[in-house]
Amino acid sequence: MRTRGENLKVEMDELFAIRHSYLIPLLPLLGAMIAGFFGARWLKDKSHWPIWIGVGSSAVLSFMLLFGMLRHMPEHHAADAGHGGLALSAESRTVGVNKVFFNWITAGNPNNAPHDRFFNAEAGFWFDPLTAVMLCVVCGIGFLITVFSAGYMKGEPGYFRFFSYLGLFIFAMTCLVMGNNLLMLYLGWEGVGVCSYLLIGYYYERPSAREAAKKAFLVNRIGDFGFGLGIMLCFMAFGTIKYFSGDAAHTGLLELVQNPVLSEFQRQALNWIPFLLMMGAFGKSAQFPLHVWLPDAMEGPTPVSALIHAATMVTAGVYMIVRCGTLFVGNSAAMWTVAIVGCFTALFAGTIALRQFDLKKVFAYSTVSQLGFMFVAAGCFAPVAAVFHLVTHAFFKALLFLSSGVVMHATGGELDLSKMSGMKAILPKTRWLMLIGCAALSGLPPLAGYFSKDEIIAASYFQSRLLAAMMLIAAFMTAYYSFRLYFRVFEGPLVVPPPPAHDPHHAAGHDAEEEHAAGHHHDHEPMIMIAPLVILALGAIFAGALAYHHAIGNFLGASPSVAQAYHMAQRVHGLRGKDMHPLQFGQHDVQLEIEKLSKEFVAHEHHVHLTLMIVSALIAGCGVYLAYLMHLRDRSAGDKLAVRFRGAARIFEAKYWIDEVYQNGIVEPLRAAGRGLFMFDRLVVDGLVRVFGFSPHAAGWVVRFTTQRGYLQGYAVMMLLGITAILVFVFYT
Amino acid sequence: MTQLALQHYLAVGAIMFVIGMIGFMTRRNLIVIFLCTELMFQGVAINLIAFGRFWHGLEGQAFVIFVLVIAAAEASLALGLVVLLFRQKNTLDADAWRELKG
Repeated sequence: MRTRGENLKVEMDELFAIRHSYLIPLLPLLGAMIAGFFGARWLKDKSHWPIWIGVGSSAVLSFMLLFGMLRHMPEHHAADAGHGGLALSAESRTVGVNKVFFNWITAGNPNNAPHDRFFNAEAGFWFDPLTAVMLCVVCGIGFLITVFSAGYMKGEPGYFRFFSYLGLFIFAMTCLVMGNNLLMLYLGWEGVGVCSYLLIGYYYERPSAREAAKKAFLVNRIGDFGFGLGIMLCFMAFGTIKYFSGDAAHTGLLELVQNPVLSEFQRQALNWIPFLLMMGAFGKSAQFPLHVWLPDAMEGPTPVSALIHAATMVTAGVYMIVRCGTLFVGNSAAMWTVAIVGCFTALFAGTIALRQFDLKKVFAYSTVSQLGFMFVAAGCFAPVAAVFHLVTHAFFKALLFLSSGVVMHATGGELDLSKMSGMKAILPKTRWLMLIGCAALSGLPPLAGYFSKDEIIAASYFQSRLLAAMMLIAAFMTAYYSFRLYFRVFEGPLVVPPPPAHDPHHAAGHDAEEEHAAGHHHDHEPMIMIAPLVILALGAIFAGALAYHHAIGNFLGASPSVAQAYHMAQRVHGLRGKDMHPLQFGQHDVQLEIEKLSKEFVAHEHHVHLTLMIVSALIAGCGVYLAYLMHLRDRSAGDKLAVRFRGAARIFEAKYWIDEVYQNGIVEPLRAAGRGLFMFDRLVVDGLVRVFGFSPHAAGWVVRFTTQRGYLQGYAVMMLLGITAILVFVFYT
Repeated sequence: MTQLALQHYLAVGAIMFVIGMIGFMTRRNLIVIFLCTELMFQGVAINLIAFGRFWHGLEGQAFVIFVLVIAAAEASLALGLVVLLFRQKNTLDADAWRELKG
C-alpha cells in the first residue's frame, strides 16, 4: 500500500517532460552544435533556426513540466492540519522527483561507507516547483529573446556564432537549474560564465569588449573560488552533495543539515558553508563588492544583456540561495549578511543609476539594484518573494533591455539619453513597451513589479524597520531613474542623434550593405522584434497576478527546498518567531493554523502589508512625479539639481570610483608583484637552472682536453685501469 | 714429472694475455698492435679450453671454435683496414691518426 506521497511521486515520474527531461538541455546544445559547425559555411543567415527549434522545444517541455506539476500538486489539507497542528511533517505537502541518468563522477568505496569516503555526483535532475519556475523563466524568456535576436542581429558578421553561443548558454543554464546536486549546479554555473564571457566579447575587434569579457570572467572567478570551497566543505562535512535523496532515507545534503544532532565538525562547517556559497552568489549576481563586471558586460549585444545579464544568469545566485535554503536559514549571521549586502547594493547601484547617461548602463545598474532586492528577500526569510521578484524582473528587465535595443537599432548605435529626445514620434510601439517596462520596474500598481517589490519590502520590514526604510528609498530611486530615462528619451521635442560613425558593429553590419541599411531605416520596428516584446510586456503587466491568492507562494511552498527551509528556520529560531512568516515560505496551511491560534498576530501582519502596499505605491508615484518635474516639464530643473548637488552627482557619475579603487588597490599592486616575480624567476631561478645545466658541459670540456688526446695506447691504459678498478671494487668490498 | 694440471694451462693463458696487453700498450706499429690483440684472444681461448676439459664439457671447445671463426673474419677486416690506412699516410704508426679523436 503506497502512501499519497509515493503515489504522487510515481505519477510525477510518468510525466512526459520528466521522462524526457534530458531533452531540455540537450536540444539547445544540439542546436548550438548545428549552428556552430554548419553556420559559417551553409546556414549563414538562417543560423537562428536550430536555436529557435532547440530552445523552443525546451520551452514547450518546461511549460509541460510546469503544468504537469500543477496537476500533481498535493492539495491543501486544512482539515488535516487541524489534527497535526504546526508540527505537520514537511514532506507530506512537498513535491520533488530525482531523475538520474548515470553516475557522472564516483570515487571511493560505497560498501565501506563510514570508513572510506564515497563521492558520487550523478548526472541527474531534481524536479520540484522551484525547478519548474526557473526552467520556464530560462527557456520561455530565452526563446522570446532568440526570436528578437534574429531581427536585431540581422546582417552581423558573426551571426551563426551568436546563435551558437546562445544555445550553449541555454544548455548550461538549464543544467544549472535542473541539477540534482551541487556539482551539476557548478557545471551549469561555470558553463553560463563561459557563455557570458564569449558573448560579452562578441565584438572582439573592439578592445573595450575584450576587456569587459575578461573582467566579467575574472571577477566571477573570485566568487566561484568561494563557491567551490563551499561545495568541498559540504562534502567533507556531510559526505554528499546531492540536494535530496528523494526517498524516505532523507540522506540528501539539504536534508542531513536539518538533523538536530550534528557532529562538532558538521556544526563548525555549517558556520562557514553559507558564507562560501554566498561568495559565489555575490559574484554571479553582481552584488557589492563583486558587482563591477555587470555594467561593463553591456559591451555585449543587447539581447545578451537582456537574457544573460538581466533575466537569467545573474539570478543564478538568488536561485542557489533559495535552493540551499536549509543551509542558510539556520545561520543568522549568514542571513543578515545576505540581507545587508543586498540592501546596500540596492541603494548603492540605485544612486549610480541616477546619473548614468547610457541607456544600457542605467538598466545595468538597475539590474544590480533589483538583484539586491532579491537578496534582501532571500536574507529576510522570504524565498517566495525572492523568486517572485526574479520572475517579474525577468519579464520587465528583458523588456526594457530589448526596447533599448530597438532604440539602438533605430539610432544606429547611439544610446546616450542626453543626445536624444521625443523618440515616440519614430518609435511609437517601442514607446508604449518601454513605458510598460519602466512602470513595472518602478513598482507602479497594478503592474508586476509592484507586487513583487512590495512583498520584499514587507519581508524586510518584519526583520528590521531600518531595512524596510532603505528598501523604500531604493524603490523611490528606481522609480525616479526609470522615468528619467523614459521622459528624456521618448517625450519632449524630437531629437534624433546622428549615428556614431566609429561604431564597428554597425559600420560592419550596415554601411557595407547600403541597400540593406536603407531598407532597415524604413522600418524601425520590425515585427520579429516587436512581437516578443509584446509578450514580455504582457508578462510585465500581468505577472503580478501570480501572487493572486498566494498562487506562486503555494506552488513554491511545495518545493522541499522552500518548505524544509521554513521548518528548519522555525526550529532554529523558535516557533513562529516574529520574523518567521509561513507565507513567505509558501506555507499556507501553517498560516491558517496560526490564524486560528493568534488573531492579533495575523491582523498585525495584514495591517503591515496593507500599509506598506499603500506606502510603496505612493513612493513609486512620487519618484515618477519627481522625474516628470525634472525631466519633462522643465528639463533645466534636472540639470540645476545636478549642479546644486554637484558633489553627489560627481560621485554617482564616477560610480563611487570603485573601478579606480580596484585598479589602484588590487590590479596595479598585483601587476607590480607579477613583474617583480617575473624578474626573480628570470634572474634567480633561471640563473640557478643555468648553472646546473652548464656544469656538466664545463666538466666534459675539461675532461675532453685532458684525457682524449688520440693516443691509442692511452685509451688502452684507461680501459685497463678502469677494469682493474671495477675488479678491485667487486672483490675487495 | 708431474701431471699437467689446470693451473698450468691457466698460467700459459694468463702469460699470453699479459704479453699481448703489454705489447698493445707499448708498440706503435698498427700490425704489431693487431697481432697483440690476437695474442690476448688466444690467451682467453686457452682458458676456455682448459676449463672445458676440466669440467668434462664441450661448451668451452665449442665456444673457442666460435672465437676462432670470428677472429679470422675480424683479422681479414682489420688487415684490410691497415692496408687502407697505410695507403693514406704511408706509415704504420698509430700516432699518425690522432686527428681521429675528433
